[in-house]
Amino acid sequence: MPDEPPPFLGTWRRVYMAVLIILCIVIAAAYWFTRAFQ
Amino acid sequence: MRPLDWIVLITSLVSIVLYGLYRGRGSNTVDRYLLAGRSMPWYAMGLSIMATQASAVTFISTTGQSYVDGMRFVQAYFGLPLAMIVICSTVVPLFYKAKIYTAYEYLERRFDSKTRTLASVIFLCQRGLSAGLTLYAPAIVLSVILGWPERTTTMLMGTLVITYTVLGGIKAVTWSDVQQMGVIFLGLVVSLVTVVVLMPASVSFGDAMFLAGKAGRLNAVTTHFDWNDRFNIWSGLIGSTFLFLSYFGCDQSQVQRYLTGRSIAQSRLGLLFNAVAKVPMQFFILFIGAMVFVFYLFVQPPVLFQRAELSRIERVGAFQPVAEQYSRAFEDRRQAALALVEAHHARDAAAEESRIREYRAAQKQIDGARAQAAKLVESTGGEKGFSDTNYIFLSFVTRHLPAGIVGLIIAVIFAAAMSASSGEINSLATVTVVDIYRRYVRREASDRHYLAASRWATLFWGVYAVTFAGWGKRLGSLIVAVNVVGSLFYGSLLGCFVLALAFRRVRGTATFIGMLAGEAAIFSAFLFTGMSYLWYNVIGCVVVVATALAITYLAPGATATTPGMRQSV
Repeated sequence: MPDEPPPFLGTWRRVYMAVLIILCIVIAAAYWFTRAFQ
Repeated sequence: MRPLDWIVLITSLVSIVLYGLYRGRGSNTVDRYLLAGRSMPWYAMGLSIMATQASAVTFISTTGQSYVDGMRFVQAYFGLPLAMIVICSTVVPLFYKAKIYTAYEYLERRFDSKTRTLASVIFLCQRGLSAGLTLYAPAIVLSVILGWPERTTTMLMGTLVITYTVLGGIKAVTWSDVQQMGVIFLGLVVSLVTVVVLMPASVSFGDAMFLAGKAGRLNAVTTHFDWNDRFNIWSGLIGSTFLFLSYFGCDQSQVQRYLTGRSIAQSRLGLLFNAVAKVPMQFFILFIGAMVFVFYLFVQPPVLFQRAELSRIERVGAFQPVAEQYSRAFEDRRQAALALVEAHHARDAAAEESRIREYRAAQKQIDGARAQAAKLVESTGGEKGFSDTNYIFLSFVTRHLPAGIVGLIIAVIFAAAMSASSGEINSLATVTVVDIYRRYVRREASDRHYLAASRWATLFWGVYAVTFAGWGKRLGSLIVAVNVVGSLFYGSLLGCFVLALAFRRVRGTATFIGMLAGEAAIFSAFLFTGMSYLWYNVIGCVVVVATALAITYLAPGATATTPGMRQSV
């Protein structure tokens, strides 16, 4: 089964980093949301 | 249900099933029936994974969870992206290159047959119970709407699901999931817009958010650490990472999804799509529950959301004072909420503080009246530990949403439940045939024979799921129950795969003993502590790995590999 590069960002390592960054943004946004309406 | 609702519901269900069967035609070999001939694109897998995980429980129970406990539950999904990255970089390429049907086949290649069999049996027990809960959720829908007993509706749903699953293979299931996720997204947006539109004219969307926040319903992140607190950021990031590593790395119902991909890259993209989309989707669903809570600040909800039990206790004399207390408390809370909004608009901090106290005092009165009503249910022959969390959203939908939208929401719940259940039953049948039947009963038979065996196994697991569906009502919130059941078994499976991937010296016997020790540790934590279920996976995994490593290094002679033990099927 051939492995292929991802269709964006060039390497899988960069794609994983992008997912981690999105997670951090989502958690930060959820934290802000909680504090703002507490 | 009005005629328009029935038209929308029946049209949606029939089109989803027909579309799935159309796309799933030609599943006439074992490879096509169980793995879709390894031909699926990333978006179909990604949406199918979301649909299988979401199911009807997501709609019914998550919104109710948010109504009673706020949005904290979203933290249970924070570990999912982390788990996806680990799975994509380790397990996905390994399973692909091994050309396996089930995750447990790999364990025999790495360890021995008894480890594979133990892992398979653990999966069959755990997923079999979950399949029961998945069927129970839509049964609640029918019982609320039609007033039928849950047992009857479980049987009806089970029959439909079994028929559909036996006829279509995984290809049919996957493509119907794609269509269902479209309907689900539409249903989510329509639900939120409708609940906001139904608020009183004097309450804006911003006011609704303000009130939900003051009632503690927008508490998405809790940073306080507590072992016994089910949902906080620590149990979410650490505990749920282990849960999702187990779920996506060791649970055949998910592994089978990404094994259908046409390449490793397609499977990775499907999983990463899930990693990015799942937390916002869960947040959105919980937010709908919080808005339903605000809606009911202005429109009096029933004392209990389960109509059948409410009708029963309404005939009891002791109910009348409870209902009166509830109505008074509701009116106090409504007045306090309106006054709180006014104080907020006037930026009067002192008045705001005073109104918040009144508002919370009234909320306590309401909670007290509901608790008394629940006790009344129990004391008059109802079920012990009565909980109506799973009925809250459905009660709102059927009482307040306009014709047509009710049918759409019910169609979403039905479709998601059927899809999730059929996926589970399909994976249970796969493990039964590949890991048990083909391994121990008929090692050499034709493809046609194994295809027939797969269909019979599907039928068996469908009946099993229907039988265990009765468990659902004794487990409180369904969404939590599904995860609790999973967590009782996932830790050991995860530990087994961690050993397989990261510790080359560890052999089958050490792993086997480690798994038994892991299960013992998890059940001890479950039975004798109040610990959050998210930690069971961590405990199970650590105990399995520690026990196997101790045996390997302290008694190496006892676990030497015997000739033939590592042969594959």
